[in-house]
Amino acid sequence: MAHALALVLSGGGGERLSVLTSERAVSAVPFGGKYRIIDFVLSNCCHSGIDQVGVLTQHAPTSLHDHIGAGRPWDLDRRAGGVLILQPYLTRSHAGWYRGTADAIAQNWDAIEERRPARVLVLSGDHVYRMDYRALLRTHEQRSAALTLAVARVPPEDSRRFGMARLDRDGRVLSLVEKPERADTPFASMGIYLFEFEVLGEILRPRPVDLVMDVVRPMLESGERVYAHEFSGYWEDVGTVGSYYRSNRELLSPQPGMVLHDVRWPILTRDEERPPVLVTEGAMIEDSLVANGCRVSGTVRRSVLFPGVRVERGAEVVDSVVMADTVIGPEARADRAILDKYVRVGEGAVVGHGETPRGGEWAWLEGLTLVGKDVEIPAGVRIGRASVVGIGAGPHDFAAVELAAGTLLPSRSWLTDVP
Amino acid sequence: MTSSRYAFILAGGVGSRLCLLSERRAKPAVPFGGKYRIIDFTLSNCVNSGIYDIGVLTQYRPTSLNQHIGTGRPWDLDRSRGGVQILQPSLGSVESDWYQGTGDAIYRNLMHLRRRRTEQVLVLSGDHVYEMDYNVLYAFHYAKQAAVTVAVTEVPEESISSFGIIETDRAGRVVGFEEKPRQARSRLASMGVYLFDHPSLHRWLMEDAACTDSKHDFGKDVLPRLVARGESVYAYRFQHYWQDVGTLDSYYQANRAFLSDQPPLDLNNPDWVIHTQSADRPPVRIEHGAHAERSLIANGCRVAGRVTRSVLFPGVTVPRGAVVRDSIVMHDTVVGRDAVVDQAIVDKQVEIGDGAVVGSGEGSTANRSCPDHLMSGLTLVGKGAQIPEGITIGRNARIGAFVTEVDFTGDVPSGGVVDGPESMH
Repeated sequence: MAHALALVLSGGGGERLSVLTSERAVSAVPFGGKYRIIDFVLSNCCHSGIDQVGVLTQHAPTSLHDHIGAGRPWDLDRRAGGVLILQPYLTRSHAGWYRGTADAIAQNWDAIEERRPARVLVLSGDHVYRMDYRALLRTHEQRSAALTLAVARVPPEDSRRFGMARLDRDGRVLSLVEKPERADTPFASMGIYLFEFEVLGEILRPRPVDLVMDVVRPMLESGERVYAHEFSGYWEDVGTVGSYYRSNRELLSPQPGMVLHDVRWPILTRDEERPPVLVTEGAMIEDSLVANGCRVSGTVRRSVLFPGVRVERGAEVVDSVVMADTVIGPEARADRAILDKYVRVGEGAVVGHGETPRGGEWAWLEGLTLVGKDVEIPAGVRIGRASVVGIGAGPHDFAAVELAAGTLLPSRSWLTDVP
Repeated sequence: MTSSRYAFILAGGVGSRLCLLSERRAKPAVPFGGKYRIIDFTLSNCVNSGIYDIGVLTQYRPTSLNQHIGTGRPWDLDRSRGGVQILQPSLGSVESDWYQGTGDAIYRNLMHLRRRRTEQVLVLSGDHVYEMDYNVLYAFHYAKQAAVTVAVTEVPEESISSFGIIETDRAGRVVGFEEKPRQARSRLASMGVYLFDHPSLHRWLMEDAACTDSKHDFGKDVLPRLVARGESVYAYRFQHYWQDVGTLDSYYQANRAFLSDQPPLDLNNPDWVIHTQSADRPPVRIEHGAHAERSLIANGCRVAGRVTRSVLFPGVTVPRGAVVRDSIVMHDTVVGRDAVVDQAIVDKQVEIGDGAVVGSGEGSTANRSCPDHLMSGLTLVGKGAQIPEGITIGRNARIGAFVTEVDFTGDVPSGGVVDGPESMH
């Protein structure tokens, strides 16, 4: 794509994803049975012909850096261009955590300038969608815009989740209102911005903090040519437990909005070499995605299993998302649960037990039970719904056989765990 | 490290007993185990043993193998120094010709060792399924101060006539070597894994090349001669799983062995990963009403029908109402609605029409064209074949690669043959 450099904003900590993101960036959260969330954007770049990509990281970036590496899976391991990780850094004159999205870009302007792109495409690493950015570029060129932002139609009740863009007939953006209770426009900004390089460079000079408040809004106010490009495909911001769960589940529907099977637009990821799925006698799998390396002897329904998950005899996994190398022991059960990697669920244990608690405090969990990485749930323990089990919790952390619905078990700090 | 290690992998095998499966590809390139090619085991053994300098010798139909190996990425063999090199027969040098035998193939590539500081040369076969740490072989070789060490494995009495059979003394020194004997006093078969001292190998191959009555083959000529004249030839006894998937029946059984609760190799072992070239495929999608049991199913497959005791390679589609039973189905094959695949080996990119039956009735008639290889009840469908709707294909039948609807005159009886377009060669 004509001299565009993509910047993927992946610094977010994602408080709302709880234990899934306490030790990794939202962009690095596993998704869809073998991917990480950022794979969708990186694959979009690859298939749209963008071969210069900067990934801006800040919160718990290790797992993201590991995943991206030299960028091989996306053909971004190049001599010229390729992928560049842009993390906060120190210099003699400056110490800089990123204060906001615009600040993150401004702090890396030297590195961006060196690549001399004609345009800068700012993307979020937390969204699941398939988009050919060349269509966005065409709109941008036709309108001779200084900035083109991608918009999607959303139902009126969702307007308070998004920045809502009011457009004129030509698609020129008249105003952008952040998360209004009620909006007079169906168009939500997708957090995808295509800037003319010179324009962005100029506006970043006074060191603005936030991309929307301090860059896009002032551009609108000063009458710059800001246009919208309407995108009509599937698009999901997976920033909350509920939306993360629903978009995983959506992949299981008969006609999923997000097509993973399209050979012309494969979702590229760093793949581990694992053998095919082994399904043994007495196994029952339905309406599910099951990745290589899994071994299923029990029952799996309406669930997503990542590589290397084992579902032992008599075990049941229902309406759940189970990440890599987690073991569901014999006769154990996971029901409306999200289990992170390397969790061991002991024999006969239950994750997601009994009634969903009503009311306020746990509403954000939508009845789901979250289990952090490396947790060992002892045999026979029952964990009530809408509970959160922190990273690394072990047998000694489970005081009782039954955890009431809505329990929060804190993460273990491995630093204080003397081996 | 004292010196660098180098391995030759012989991958020119014709694999004629695999019939259609190796008609258009070399035996090492035959798909195996739901996502691998046979050569993946040997290549992975090399890199897992720390050998990163490898020459792969090809001759018979190398395209599929070359494509598979590529620059060697999956095995971390895309390196600046060493890595993997495809060594095909070539014209241009004084002594160029097709490889006559395994010894000749190495002889013609000795020049690749010239610039390498390697004290031993490992010679491997790309035809076998096994996991072996070659470091143990090197250690044995050093301990015995052998000139050449041959890895051997015990085979059943009835199959000695398919292997090079080795007789040893108590110390493990080889005292007899007979290629494919009718009967023998030993049941130790050569695995086609040889560790040579570099100078000895060089000398012996020069010598063999000058021999006019030699077939220039390690098993037939070179090793028996060395043993006969009392060279220091030792046998290393390998105690683990090793499978020569040389026939359709052994290929079928070996694949099926991986469906058991105790598979012969742990393909999930993170310390000994079998690497392969795999395309980006989404996880297996198992839809509503599907039933899958006792099967291996690779990423990219979509299952809405019934799959039992079968191996599905990446991208296979089994829609609602379809049944795949006791079968091996390779990449991107599409089974039609209400079609049945029973005791069949179906190659890649086959389209099976709605309601068709592949593998039906009694299996008493051997195949008309290859009665020796296709007679135990398996039905074989070649790559890219298109099987018309509603047609029934009997057991021991052979459906050629790339056949289309027009090649069928009706149902195919047991032992029947449908030939497709002639291969260009």
